[in-house]
Amino acid sequence: MSRFGDWVNERFPARKMMREHMTEYYAPKNFNIFYYTGSLLLLMIVLQLVSGFLLMAHYVPTSQGAFDSVQGIMYDTKWGWLIRYMHVDGVSLIFILLYLHIGRGLLYGSYRKPRELLWIIGYLTYIMMMGEAFFGYVLPFGNLSYWAGQVITSIIHAIPFVGPGLTTLARGGPGVGTATLQRFLALHAVLWFMIIAALIVMHILALHEVGSNNPDGIEIKDKKGPDGHPLDGIPFHPYYTVKDIFGVGVWLTVFAAIMFYAPTMHGVFLERTTFFRANPMVGLPDVTPPWYLAPYYAMLRAIPNKYFGIALMALAITLPFLLPWLDRNPVRSSRYRPVYRTMIIILAITFFTLAWVGEQPPLPKYFIIERVGAALYIGFYLLLPIISSIEPTRKVPERVKS
Amino acid sequence: MADTNENQKDAPNPGRRRFLTAATSVVGAAVAGTTVVAMIESLEPTAAEAAAASTSVNLAPIEPGMQVTVPWQKKPAIIVNRTPEMLATLVEAEQKNLLKDPKCDVPQQPPYCRNRFRSRKPEWLVMVRICTHLCCIPHYRPKPASVTSWWLGGFYCPCHGSMYDLSGRVINGSPAPHNMAVPEYEYSADGKVVTITSMYKKAHLC
Amino acid sequence: MTRKAWVSAAGGLLAWLVAGCAMAAPQYSFSKPMVVAGARLFAEHCSACHSVSSLRYNRLSQLGMSKADIEKEIMLPNGANYLKGMEPTMNMADATKWFGIPPPNLSHIVRARGENWIYTYLTSFYWDPKRPSGWNNHLFPNVAMPNILAPWGGTYAKNGKLLQQGLESPAVYHRQVAEIVDFLRYASDPSVFERHAIGPYVLGALVLLTLLAYLLKREYWKDVHHGTSGKKGNGTKH
Repeated sequence: MSRFGDWVNERFPARKMMREHMTEYYAPKNFNIFYYTGSLLLLMIVLQLVSGFLLMAHYVPTSQGAFDSVQGIMYDTKWGWLIRYMHVDGVSLIFILLYLHIGRGLLYGSYRKPRELLWIIGYLTYIMMMGEAFFGYVLPFGNLSYWAGQVITSIIHAIPFVGPGLTTLARGGPGVGTATLQRFLALHAVLWFMIIAALIVMHILALHEVGSNNPDGIEIKDKKGPDGHPLDGIPFHPYYTVKDIFGVGVWLTVFAAIMFYAPTMHGVFLERTTFFRANPMVGLPDVTPPWYLAPYYAMLRAIPNKYFGIALMALAITLPFLLPWLDRNPVRSSRYRPVYRTMIIILAITFFTLAWVGEQPPLPKYFIIERVGAALYIGFYLLLPIISSIEPTRKVPERVKS
Repeated sequence: MADTNENQKDAPNPGRRRFLTAATSVVGAAVAGTTVVAMIESLEPTAAEAAAASTSVNLAPIEPGMQVTVPWQKKPAIIVNRTPEMLATLVEAEQKNLLKDPKCDVPQQPPYCRNRFRSRKPEWLVMVRICTHLCCIPHYRPKPASVTSWWLGGFYCPCHGSMYDLSGRVINGSPAPHNMAVPEYEYSADGKVVTITSMYKKAHLC
Repeated sequence: MTRKAWVSAAGGLLAWLVAGCAMAAPQYSFSKPMVVAGARLFAEHCSACHSVSSLRYNRLSQLGMSKADIEKEIMLPNGANYLKGMEPTMNMADATKWFGIPPPNLSHIVRARGENWIYTYLTSFYWDPKRPSGWNNHLFPNVAMPNILAPWGGTYAKNGKLLQQGLESPAVYHRQVAEIVDFLRYASDPSVFERHAIGPYVLGALVLLTLLAYLLKREYWKDVHHGTSGKKGNGTKH
């Protein structure tokens, strides 16, 4: 066994990788519940890959056949319902995890030097995942899929100069049809997914280069023991692997409960209008995006002008890239920054209020909420440089609290 | 005192650690294995495939003595309405020792068709008309003496001269090794429609 | 924020998810006998015009119906195939001529509209001589469909006044409508009984896994609390 192991390791760095990323990767010992989200996201992405492959084995990417082929999976394929619910509910659960994961980064200042690139790669992955979700959303070709495809491809239309060309390129014809489904499937299952997978690998490599942050925002590498390992660090394996297995158990229990007992989550995870066949002649009572994209949609509607609305939405999506440079306070974690912590709580409430309002029909009574929400959301990023340079901070301890 | 007890309870326990590692691995592997089995099963032919692979035939227009050929899974399936005289030739063939496998010992038919008539109901023969020799399509020759002087009625293959009785049982001296294959089929509740559902798994076509 | 606050936040999220599961519980009884009764009523009253093309006849055998029962009671004498989806007897081109639009395929109607909507719709017809069919609906104004259940449920005026008594008592009639809705709910998602049958075993296995993983984690983390986690020979076998 050991000779075989040596033979392999002279040719492939299995043991070296195991050491670097598991047994000798020292992670802070004070991780809290937020720190389950990373491993759970990785698990969910793998489940999406597997269930997606099985769905694709039955899917027909044509405007005539797509809806029936997806319903065929639900009715005629053995365990087809399990696979589709896994894929559909998995998306919403991934975005729940993503928002917790990103929120953790905000709370504990995980985007700060030296983790700027880690943050940017991660945030880029999130944006790519919104695209991935959108492509997947169109594929079943229910009426919601059709109109979502129309609306989003017309948003591209507003991009200066290249917009109209891009829209035609995205649709592959005058409207959303077979050509659109085929290229969306190719993007969803091949190119876009490959980019996301590559970004995730880069994200993990960058994390293991700079080391994990922690709820106290203290750099554990600054305090090393005589053995050269951080005093507040513990090897990722076995301590965080066993902890993450426990997290996986809890998470899969919740996931299974949803798939077996509330697979559409009352129309939130799988919308009612996806069960009508795509019909270019019949619009929907109201076109609302899935909950995880709704905050941006609400900001789009906050300005009653196509170009400015889209510009505001684009600004809201891209501002977080600048976060590492907008935050000017020497302290990382919000545990020791009460003002910053209040700002993040307001930001989170704003975000989920925008998600709620984005799901509502476009009535004038919601305009005020959309506008205040958009102002607060953008305001967080615009005010952060000023507030973070003058805000009072508490004393940061030398070592992490365990 | 309470302190030392606490400490002892908190001390690492290698045996317990090994046991819990093994137990968690076993349960985890069971969960993962069950999921993988379900996922592989999802790639089996769907209900839509099963429906497309079956053929229903209305028996009403098939007169006594008549053979109807229907395309089924790209193969010629036949339904023959056999008369009492035709059924009598099956006994005669057995008595004259003409048959290679008169008792249908080779599973060329579903168990419910393992009888002299090779069918669910004696008069109705449902069969795949493909010669077990080299996949030719035998002719239906129901009239006695229409192939040879001793011919009782049956199927005659024009390619290499294989001969079968009116149940598709192969006659001695033919190059064909087995009786012709009978697929799985069922009658509707009123008995007026036959649905050929699938190939009998153990049967060889040719 | 304290550790407690995070735990309660996670608990809140879990509670929301559980509440979502509970909300999906049926508003009225939903059971195999109700669905079978609904399938019979549907075949009798609805399937002349409406297809349920996604649901194959043989699927009903999972509800405990025999093949003979399905052929006799559910399948119409229109050349229906036991292995294929439920199709109407009516020619869709004729139907379009008579009603203006073809009667919709009801395969996914409960998923699309919700069972309460269907129930309310079926019980909200009123007599309206101004409509070509003579019928109108409180929930779906100017609907093309006539109230074909009127002989059983009775005919009502717009103000709710009973114009003609139905053959069934209101209680029996409403139960029958609920049975039809139950059948349509089943047709929208026939995995429901399968899911509910195996769900407890799946959750049981996962809870067991979680429990074992929790004990394992606690055992390993004794090292961390003892401060021996970084040292060689403790815990790490690699």
